[in-house]
Amino acid sequence: MSAQVAPTRMALTLYKGKLVGAKKGYELLKKKSDALKARFRVIAKQIYELKKQMREDAATSFFSMTQAQYAAGEFKSKVLDTPHPAAIRVKTRTDNVAGVKLPIFASYNTGVEIKDNIGLSGGGQKVVSCRNKYHQWVENLVKLASLQTSFVTMDEALKVTNRRVNALENVTIPRIEGIIKYINRELDELEREDFTRLKKVVEKKRENAAKEDKRLAEVKQKMQNLRVEGDLLDDYDLEKKGDVYF
Amino acid sequence: MPYVVPLSGGDITSFNVHNGFPEALVRGFRSSFLTEYDYNNLTQCENLDDVRLNLQETDYDQFLSSQTKVTPALIQEKATTKLVKEFNYLKAQAQEPLVTFMEYIQYEYMIENVMLLLKGTLSGRNVEELIAQCHPLGLFAPSTMKLIPMFEASPKGYMDLYQTVLIDTPIGDYFSRFLEEHKPSGHDSAGGDDANIVRNVLEEVEIEIIKNSLMKLYLEDFHRFCKKVGGDTAIVMCELLEARADRNAINITLNSFNGPLNEPHMRSTDRRRLYPAIGQLYPEATSDFTDVSDEAALAAVLEPYPVYREIWAVHMNESFGNKSIDDAFYERDVEMLELSFEGQMHFAPFYAYIKLKEQEIRNLVWISECIVQRQRDEINKFIPLFTDSAPWKVARRAAR
Repeated sequence: MSAQVAPTRMALTLYKGKLVGAKKGYELLKKKSDALKARFRVIAKQIYELKKQMREDAATSFFSMTQAQYAAGEFKSKVLDTPHPAAIRVKTRTDNVAGVKLPIFASYNTGVEIKDNIGLSGGGQKVVSCRNKYHQWVENLVKLASLQTSFVTMDEALKVTNRRVNALENVTIPRIEGIIKYINRELDELEREDFTRLKKVVEKKRENAAKEDKRLAEVKQKMQNLRVEGDLLDDYDLEKKGDVYF
Repeated sequence: MPYVVPLSGGDITSFNVHNGFPEALVRGFRSSFLTEYDYNNLTQCENLDDVRLNLQETDYDQFLSSQTKVTPALIQEKATTKLVKEFNYLKAQAQEPLVTFMEYIQYEYMIENVMLLLKGTLSGRNVEELIAQCHPLGLFAPSTMKLIPMFEASPKGYMDLYQTVLIDTPIGDYFSRFLEEHKPSGHDSAGGDDANIVRNVLEEVEIEIIKNSLMKLYLEDFHRFCKKVGGDTAIVMCELLEARADRNAINITLNSFNGPLNEPHMRSTDRRRLYPAIGQLYPEATSDFTDVSDEAALAAVLEPYPVYREIWAVHMNESFGNKSIDDAFYERDVEMLELSFEGQMHFAPFYAYIKLKEQEIRNLVWISECIVQRQRDEINKFIPLFTDSAPWKVARRAAR
């Protein structure tokens, strides 16, 4: 991996920038994870409370059904056979928590009037109270359903965020830091190499210069020796400006 | 000497000749009711298997023996089957006019069954399911039963249904009178219009209103029949039926307060048509009911009638005593029905036997449901039958 990175200064600045970005991302993600965790705990608590309430609701609703049947006789088939449009409907909307979209259900009454007069000649009041109890229970059920779907979605989102946080912390950032160290090392080494080469070159030059001097000195010495024996041009006085004819 | 079927059903000289055996049977059945001791044991049970064990000691004997899992619905079904078996046995031993009397008792259940079948087929449910849900005391001949759901929901279909099936049943008469009353004004009985009228009525009028109108006509008819039979039967049965009619009138008024029947124009037409033309409250109070639109007005109308004033007081104290108006009415019914066993030479014991057995079945189902749902504190809210500790008996003993 490190072998693919060119150890240049440009690469260094590039990777330094990446590190800064990674660190910043890590901070932000950690904040998001904390926010999600807090909200998650709140939802879990609400679910617990509501489930306890649900037990009561279920018991009272079924018992009110028993009471209604005692007073008004069997009316299940009468209810099933009369066509009713739904009296309670559920509408959905999405809530945005720290970037996570949660589905929320809200129940609302369609305002459909239920006028089937069950128990008209006996037990009608018990039937009405039974209806009210079940109505209350259905509303709580819708709330519970909403909370549970948000719980599940939140759980997923929390897992994903934590995964990213851990990945950043344990993989990406150390990797980038590793690369930066490598580049620095390489650059240092290059510099050292350069320096050494420079020194060597300077030394060589000096050596060469010294050699050159020595040679020149030898040549001069030789030339001096030659001048003593006389030479053709000895008689010739360079100052006399006459031509030399052979 | 040729045998002449007597018209009268209640006088000392001839009663035992014709009706002695069935009456002896019904008094034998009277001792099969669960006693206070049995009810005590039942309320102490922990689960429904205990209930089954306790019931084996009583007259109910082995009625649940072949079932592995006991549920309250099962108890109700089996107990009703036992009641129907006893009723049919009684009817088989009876002669006229007792047979017609017993058939009149069955008409009430037939009305409910017909309503169930009609409404069920309108919503398109399965025939077999519907027949299985019918009350067994109200079954017609199986062929007739099968025919009812076969008709399509078209105008011609309804006309056919009405003419072939409903007219032949004993309650066909009530139906035709009901349709007469609900015919929108301005229509004449031309053939095509009739079919439309039938269809409109069956589709648009709510099932409860149809049922209550039929019940009103039934009560009036039964009352007429008992008067015709004469003797003690007329005296006792008419009183029982009048109490029933009053109870219906009060309940209809009370339960209509939150619904569309309470609108002023509905009150004088539809609601008024549901009040039977018999009873203490007829005709003054029922016509006063037309102006009643809330509980205070209802209380004012019931002031002059001491029995209903007391029952209304129970309703007003409902939050303190936890007893509802339905419980108060049931108690009064049980009181009157128990007393009808005291006299002899009349047909009322047969009616009383059915109604009291129904109350016992209601009690059994209530106790089993309370056990299943673990509502121990509510379990004693049933009405025990033939006990010495009933409130009205205690009051009478105190007054003596």
